[in-house]
Amino acid sequence: MALVADAVVPGQRLGHVQEFNAGVGTYSRQDFIYASVVGLKKITIENNELPTMTVERENTQSAMPDIDAIVTCKVVRVNPRFAAVNIMVVDGKPCTDDFQGIIRVQDVRATEKDKVKIYNSFRPGDIVRAQVISLGDARSYYLSTAANELGVIFGTSVAGGSLVPISWQEMQCTKTKVIELRKCAKPM
Amino acid sequence: MDRKRVPGPELSVAPLVEYPSDFKRWTPLDEIRHDPKRQPEDMRPIYLKTGLISQANGSAYIELEKTKLACGVYGPRPVKKVGQVFSGKGVLYCEIKFATFSCAKRRTNIRDPQERELSQILSQALSPAIQLDKLPKSAIDIYITVLESDGWGSCVAAAITAASVALAHAGIEMLDLVAGCSAAYIQTGPSISSSKDSIAASRPPQIFMDADLEEEKYEQGAIVLAYMPSLNEVTHVLQSGKAEGSIISQSVEHCMEACNKIYAVMHHALLESINDNKEAL
Repeated sequence: MALVADAVVPGQRLGHVQEFNAGVGTYSRQDFIYASVVGLKKITIENNELPTMTVERENTQSAMPDIDAIVTCKVVRVNPRFAAVNIMVVDGKPCTDDFQGIIRVQDVRATEKDKVKIYNSFRPGDIVRAQVISLGDARSYYLSTAANELGVIFGTSVAGGSLVPISWQEMQCTKTKVIELRKCAKPM
Repeated sequence: MDRKRVPGPELSVAPLVEYPSDFKRWTPLDEIRHDPKRQPEDMRPIYLKTGLISQANGSAYIELEKTKLACGVYGPRPVKKVGQVFSGKGVLYCEIKFATFSCAKRRTNIRDPQERELSQILSQALSPAIQLDKLPKSAIDIYITVLESDGWGSCVAAAITAASVALAHAGIEMLDLVAGCSAAYIQTGPSISSSKDSIAASRPPQIFMDADLEEEKYEQGAIVLAYMPSLNEVTHVLQSGKAEGSIISQSVEHCMEACNKIYAVMHHALLESINDNKEAL
């Protein structure tokens, strides 16, 4: 069995801080760079900068929401103050376990915040693209949809047909042509 | 009475065990170890493998002859407990469980005080090595099942070793792997039979590395050391019984040496897991 030469384990010394920048999967401590995960080490060289030492994880851990991350989530319940969601995907990576998040009424859109009605923006079951603005409280992350490309990306109407966006705050049922109100995401 | 599980018969008879005619129970009088092939500073050979528990994020199985345990790591996953305050750091939760058949005397299904204590020790030994500040609002759960226990000290040490390998296997960011090692202080030679003999009694006890159950019965004290080999830092020392300072510092050194050997085994097991992944693709 031939072992991979570049494979490293946590705690393995990879180099000196003067030679490399500590990238993902590494940390620096007392002038040295150490690996912090199991994986293969990689050195990326950029112009006029120190080469960056990174370790590519072998066994990826579940994705975690981070501030500014774009997440895809499902609305579970709404009330006049916020919409509660389950975060399912973070930056394109699926989470093994759903994280809880809330979109507060003042974070739904950027303008005319006082006119926002949660019930006219989200309904339970909608799939929403949002951005994490804060780690929030003990329970949920705080999300925002205050940008054109953020908002509902998929939903079903009262009749059960799928909804198609027709403006930034209206969606139409494909079955009954009924127009429902949503904070739509601009199609990308 | 435990109504949830199928209990054994009400009346039971202990099985007859026939010892060979030349059987002699081991005592430290013999001045050799219970396993005659081992020197006082020798550890038992270690078998360590990752990825045996498929539903866990990371797992490890360790075997030191008759000490066998499995460890599963779940997480990092969101904290969902009610009443939990916001914490910018991750929470580490350890639980060690002795299987009912793991010891000479049957263990109960219910968590007993010893298991609670061990769980506490384990989380103290491991948390300095995990970069918990990188996991806000999440929890890591470590579950260890002892399948067979051959000595309390070696069990704790093996649990620490296996848990840190499982954590690394789960892809959790760590500062270093933690190796655990145990040693027992045992008075050898004829001093036990004639304790009045002042010369023999003043003999320092021998340090037996990785003592097994039979040897632990005669121990005056024991030590379990959790150590991060490449950072050269000790994360936990558990000292019990009575011993002189010189003996303790000597055994700490022995344990650190042994931990470096264990580290090589852990390193190998993790590299092998990479290779297994490569082959699976």
